Amino acid sequence: MNTPLNEDASDLRYAEYVLGVLDADARAAVEQELADGAAAASAVAEWGRRLAPLAEAIAPEPPPPRLWQRIRTRLEFDGPDPDRRMRLWDNLPLWHWLTLGSGALLAAACAALVFLLVHRPPTPAIPYMAATITENDGQVGWTATMDIGKARMIVVPATPLPVQPNRTPELWLIPQGGRPIAVGLISTQAPITLRLSATLVARLGPTARLAVSIEPHGGSPTGAPTGPVIAAGAIGAAPAAAGPAAAALRLRASLQRPV
Amino acid sequence: MNDTSTETETLERLLSRTAMRDRAAFARLYELTSPRLFGLCVRMLRDRGEAEEVLQEAFISIWRRADGYDATLASANTWLTTLVRNRAIDRLRQRREDTHSDPLGLEQLPDESRGPAGEAEASEDYRRLERCLGQLDSKYSRSVREAFFSGATYKELAMRCEVPLATMKSWIRRALLQLRTCLET
Repeated sequence: MNTPLNEDASDLRYAEYVLGVLDADARAAVEQELADGAAAASAVAEWGRRLAPLAEAIAPEPPPPRLWQRIRTRLEFDGPDPDRRMRLWDNLPLWHWLTLGSGALLAAACAALVFLLVHRPPTPAIPYMAATITENDGQVGWTATMDIGKARMIVVPATPLPVQPNRTPELWLIPQGGRPIAVGLISTQAPITLRLSATLVARLGPTARLAVSIEPHGGSPTGAPTGPVIAAGAIGAAPAAAGPAAAALRLRASLQRPV
Repeated sequence: MNDTSTETETLERLLSRTAMRDRAAFARLYELTSPRLFGLCVRMLRDRGEAEEVLQEAFISIWRRADGYDATLASANTWLTTLVRNRAIDRLRQRREDTHSDPLGLEQLPDESRGPAGEAEASEDYRRLERCLGQLDSKYSRSVREAFFSGATYKELAMRCEVPLATMKSWIRRALLQLRTCLET
């Protein structure tokens, strides 16, 4: 029977667990309950919310630098990062440089681009375009880089706010004075490469903008944005060029302009 | 406060990226939170070597269990503090019970509430908790603070404060019930 007194007694036991006054056996018994049922977990979480702020009373003290190195070693961070072992096209730092490149990184970015260009079959014209897609709070959500020759766009998340689990961010191209055209679904976690249709390629340009709306899984059911627009950015042009070096120079010019 | 709510958002974002195996986010999370969490470990364990070991194990758990973090159950700060305290308490329970049991007397328990300088950067939750602790009988609030910061059992607390075990239990239980009521209003 759950009388208020019984409820108090069991709630107190969770409070004592969170406070840390139980001995090893009593702690283990509560932990067993936590593994078995949600009611105990929510009572313990509630007491955690009540009591954990007390930790703010303690003066912070930086741990010695060796500690982070030991953690890295234990987690085997010093080997290659499997999630970062991407092809050059998917190289996230490279695209960050290319789209957000600051003065200091410019030379390195250009060198990387020349490397990229000379290691691929020559194409008569290689225009690149880039956009920084900024969220409403001013944080960069994504960077988009468009390779017109290959009719594709890579969209790299910078620090987008998380999206509800049953929703997906969708990217739109908004031509000046026109209606939004769906580009594709993107991710808050991983770089996504999108194919660009001929219609889209024809409309990419410095007067167009990119925007991100929040849509149900699978994308907007209507073909137009249905959810809130959370981020937008103008497209910066790196126009058609005669060869790799020229493309690098043009990109350099576009990098020097504020995006 | 704006600063603390922005910080909460940042930590939540970093934790969710850590769950996606983002090493850079995990490194940043460590950078932002390890001084506070290390201070907590040193205070609880009173041994820097052990504090380092516990913090190391805690961050390895954070990397492995970040996908179990549920923002609807706890703020990132609460989740991290709870995880680290649980590790420290487990470590304390492995020690022989008599390590810290030199009697101190209740009056000698340190008063750990922040001074006026610290109040400014404290979170709203902390200030509310401090207000409620301030309304308790001082022997109740000192016992709760000592329990929280030392991770000691009822028995150890009773010995340290030189009161009978039943007295210590009743002080802390009353304190917890009064805190619950105070924090709900």
